[in-house]
Amino acid sequence: MQSTLCPRLSILLGLPALVEVVGATCRFGDIVALDDVSLALQPGELAFVVGPSGAGKTTLLKLINREMRPTSGEVWIDGHAAHALRPRRIPTLRRRVGVVYQDYKLLPRLTALENVAFAIQVCYLGVSDEEAHDRALDALEAVGLGGRDGAFPDELSGGQQQRVAIARAVVVQPPVLIADEPTGNLDLETAWQVMKLLEQVSRFGTAVLIATHNLDIVRRMQRRVVTLVDGRLVRDQPAGRTGRLAWAAS
Amino acid sequence: MGGILNAPFPRRRRLRNVFRNTFRHLFRGAARSWRRNLGTTAPALGSMTLLLLLSGVVGLSAFALRGLAASQAAEAAVLHVYLRDDARQQDTDALRASLEADRRVLAVRYTSKSDALKHAQHRPGLPDLAGAADENPFPASLDVRVRSVQDVGGLAAAATGSPAVDPVLPTSYNPSAYQRIQTALTVVAVAGGAFLLLFGFVAIAVTINSIKAAIQARRNEVSIMQLVGAPRWMVRGPFLVEGAMTGSVAGLVAALVTLAAGLAGLAFGTSAFAQLAPGLTVGVCFIAAGIVLLAGVVLGSAASLVSVHSQMESV
Repeated sequence: MQSTLCPRLSILLGLPALVEVVGATCRFGDIVALDDVSLALQPGELAFVVGPSGAGKTTLLKLINREMRPTSGEVWIDGHAAHALRPRRIPTLRRRVGVVYQDYKLLPRLTALENVAFAIQVCYLGVSDEEAHDRALDALEAVGLGGRDGAFPDELSGGQQQRVAIARAVVVQPPVLIADEPTGNLDLETAWQVMKLLEQVSRFGTAVLIATHNLDIVRRMQRRVVTLVDGRLVRDQPAGRTGRLAWAAS
Repeated sequence: MGGILNAPFPRRRRLRNVFRNTFRHLFRGAARSWRRNLGTTAPALGSMTLLLLLSGVVGLSAFALRGLAASQAAEAAVLHVYLRDDARQQDTDALRASLEADRRVLAVRYTSKSDALKHAQHRPGLPDLAGAADENPFPASLDVRVRSVQDVGGLAAAATGSPAVDPVLPTSYNPSAYQRIQTALTVVAVAGGAFLLLFGFVAIAVTINSIKAAIQARRNEVSIMQLVGAPRWMVRGPFLVEGAMTGSVAGLVAALVTLAAGLAGLAFGTSAFAQLAPGLTVGVCFIAAGIVLLAGVVLGSAASLVSVHSQMESV
């Protein structure tokens, strides 16, 4: 893993950014998915990425988890250059980024509890079975699934699988957590609980970035909102503002 | 709630936990996954078993053929000089002395009429002939082992002039029969080698493709493991073990059938089998079964490794 710290924004601002996207552009042939996007997230910061479908929200998250490389620009995660990472070093980076996927991405051969415990032992191989089990169970209880720990993913509803995915992402206390439509399959009350959980995660120092279409929740949370339209960052609204969401207004 | 979010993870790696977790992930996890995915693996398992079984049988046949070729070559290098029933001892001794003095000869052995009869009784078809006659029809002989098969003809001609030699059938030398055997053995060896190579290639290709298809069906699993940051060994390991398990099961079944076929052949046709497949023994059957089992394990693991590697490249 490259350990050179990004010398740019974080130093200029005097703050160690956990996520730093600098002029990232992603092209797929003639299509520009992201166009010169720059963004920095500090420890403990929770931000939303909003925008219409195809705006580049998922592409941005994929750059952070190094599922993709930018065509140009840089992506720094916790001081490591994700854009220049060798393939064999990618797992180390991904262990620093908790991800909640829209389609859950749970391992079908493992129970809910084992899926969460698997993430623990991927990051901390030295953790005992008992401790992994206890922590996984705590995480499942935190998302309201304490009683379904023995169920396999195909025995759970979409919302329940989503919550297992959230438990898996938060249980390892990653420095960075990204979520792609984490409330897409949840009812309003559960969605709100999940948001509160992610907010709590950020309070312990994790930088959280959530891509969502749920503008109600975005408004209620009163957090930083980054708006993407056609791959360009059109607005970066700081926390506490209640202004109209640019793309929703159009 | 706060507990799971900020309770620190142990910094020190406990070796016992590392070993236990590694073992559980690689072996117990793989075993459970193998059972759960048996439906997906079944076609690979079936084709592997069949191909390994055929490989075992073909291998045993090739070994027998090689033994047959070697015994035929050894046989061809032995010239039997048949003696007249009324040959005088001093003529026989003179012939033996002249043969032993020849530089082309390795050894000369005397076979009496009764020994010749005993040998005939162990050869397929000849016991009936031996029993049909009132008296022993097989002549005494001097069995001459020559240095080179090419010298057999010359020695046969030299021996024929001796008064001790049977004038009707002086020697076992038959130039045309010998030539035919050599040609047939060469053709069989070349064709058998080519067939084995082709068969081995087909077996490997079919096995790799079957296992590839089984892993392709689980490509999501591979990508999920990579996306949550599992190290490469953690992604590959269970698939490698699963491949080895598939190969072991296929290899074990094929090995047992090969062993049973070989042992049955030895048990039910001892005398004929010894002639048709010289060198094929119980030990050889066990070795063949062992090779089939090992081939299954290696083939299964390697095919899994190659397949999962290509899946990993795509994430």
